[in-house]
Amino acid sequence: MSGHPAAAAGFLIDAERAAWHDQSLWFMRQKRDAGSAIPEWESLRLAGQALKTHAMSRLADLLEEFERRATANGVQVHWARDAQAHNEIVLGILRSAGVTRVSKSKSMLTEECGLNPFLEAQGIEVVDTDLGERIVQLAKEPPSHIVIPAIHWKREEIGELFHRTMGTPAGETSPDALAAAARVHLRDALLNAGAGITGANALVAETGGVVVCTNEGNADLGMHSPPIHIACAGIEKMIATRDDLGVLLRLLARSGTGQPVTAYTTHVTTPRAGSAMHVVLVDNGRTKRLADATMRSALHCIRCGACLNTCPVYRRSGGYSYGHVIQGPIGAILAPAVDLDRHHTLPFASTLCGSCGDVCPVRIDIPAQLLAWRARSAAAGRLPRGYASIFPLLGRVLSKLDRYEFAARMARRFQKVIPASWLSGRWNPWTRPGRALPVIADESFREWARRAGRGS
Amino acid sequence: MSDRDIILAAIRAARVPAAPPASAAFATSAAPAPLASPSPAFTTRTDDEALHGAFLRVLAEVGGRGVICQATQSLDELLAAELGVDKESAVIVRGRFAVVENGAVYVDAADIGARNSIVLAEHLVVVVPYAAIVPTMHEAVRLMPVDSKCGWFLSGPSKTADIEQSLVFGAQGSRTHRVIFEMG
Repeated sequence: MSGHPAAAAGFLIDAERAAWHDQSLWFMRQKRDAGSAIPEWESLRLAGQALKTHAMSRLADLLEEFERRATANGVQVHWARDAQAHNEIVLGILRSAGVTRVSKSKSMLTEECGLNPFLEAQGIEVVDTDLGERIVQLAKEPPSHIVIPAIHWKREEIGELFHRTMGTPAGETSPDALAAAARVHLRDALLNAGAGITGANALVAETGGVVVCTNEGNADLGMHSPPIHIACAGIEKMIATRDDLGVLLRLLARSGTGQPVTAYTTHVTTPRAGSAMHVVLVDNGRTKRLADATMRSALHCIRCGACLNTCPVYRRSGGYSYGHVIQGPIGAILAPAVDLDRHHTLPFASTLCGSCGDVCPVRIDIPAQLLAWRARSAAAGRLPRGYASIFPLLGRVLSKLDRYEFAARMARRFQKVIPASWLSGRWNPWTRPGRALPVIADESFREWARRAGRGS
Repeated sequence: MSDRDIILAAIRAARVPAAPPASAAFATSAAPAPLASPSPAFTTRTDDEALHGAFLRVLAEVGGRGVICQATQSLDELLAAELGVDKESAVIVRGRFAVVENGAVYVDAADIGARNSIVLAEHLVVVVPYAAIVPTMHEAVRLMPVDSKCGWFLSGPSKTADIEQSLVFGAQGSRTHRVIFEMG
């Protein structure tokens, strides 16, 4: 085993913790169900899909329109073809202003670009200010979930971490007390930083506005306190109009946490007097995906996290099993485009149950893309171990009724006489610890129907 | 070529098929059209109660508190009664309008002092004209001032659920959040 199966097996060793993780995420899924229970929900999803499809079809025009308006408003717009260019631009802005300490609110793009380690290597201190992201930063870990980065941490462990790093009393496990300590710690970082870096939930061409959504309010302290605000955004965050923004905001929080909207939704077009505002527009593989008609709609993702919360594989294998900055079903279709060799097991980290596609607020057909990536893995000779020899055989058996019925009869007969320990041996990739071969029924459905005289 | 030119050229080379704007897609879809203003689906849900009643209920659900300032009452009296000793650490700002579906109020930077004051406030009070209320975000985004430099939809106090999903108010911004509707 390697890749996702190996990492997932590691996660499942602690069965109790794995069950707790599963339940925590299922709770999020239930909150999403309650939050999205509005009569026009499916119509809203159609509108979400339409506004993103439209934006991608006019992306170059919209980016130029955004740039024109933002520039007129005194915002400095930068373009970065890849992660390295993005990091250099941010460093350049900080260097020219002599900044040595920056605050950062949650941005999956800066995680993707590896901005933190890059800046730290240049002697710049970076403080992540979303509470969950600060927890994993203090623990020197990446986020394990795009919306709730520390979902895999228990309160006792956070208490111990804060005791070590912030001097909270030993044994403190109350979320109220721990969050209160973090409030003091993070406000200090936010108010004393030389620059505040944020991501963007949307860029609106019609207004030239950058939209940032948080519940904690950290992004607002970060962008409105220091003399410099840098917003880093992938080019796919572009939407056309404020009407589109209304649709997107109705979908985003309901899908993520079940809230009707986040506590803070900021639309900023112009730097405040005496301060500078920069927007860095990043490609880093996005234009390549745009040219790929099969996989293009993955660019519509608004990073709500709904597909992670509902996924039976994500819930039971944890964010780190994906080995990618974006986890879960959406990560499993984004990562292979970055590096198919490294991430070829991810399209197989799915039961293809379809739940991810059903909850997606912009109706990305994630299951279809998982399947398409499996085909590309096969074409590239990168099927997971064992699959390459077994799948062609299965194809021959399952595609012809007489072969299938013969094989089923044989399986039924031999399962009774072959020891279970041999059937679940290491040679069989379908039976791993925790995943036993079910007992095959004595009679097939067709045999039953024939016996009961109801058909052929 | 600059990164800008490279990116724009790559996008245009991708030749993404034309797709109509979202509203046009809606007009031709089989689905009911909730984007008409005001949203019929949402107003159906609130037919039996006034918009303000629905707003106050949603605001309470997101951890805020809403009060309607009666015509017989002065705003100062109401604020004193509402805030008590917290009045010292409260920030009181004007909001432009309220949104029923999510309990949000829109505050524009043109109407307040420092932009970060709404987040630094321990206790935030937003005073909104009674008549300025819309059912959903579809109407709300159209009321954002076209020349806005910065504006917020604020829905309840600052909150986090990052520690084992336990909801804690006052994560980094305001600990309490009040919306007061002012008559006249």
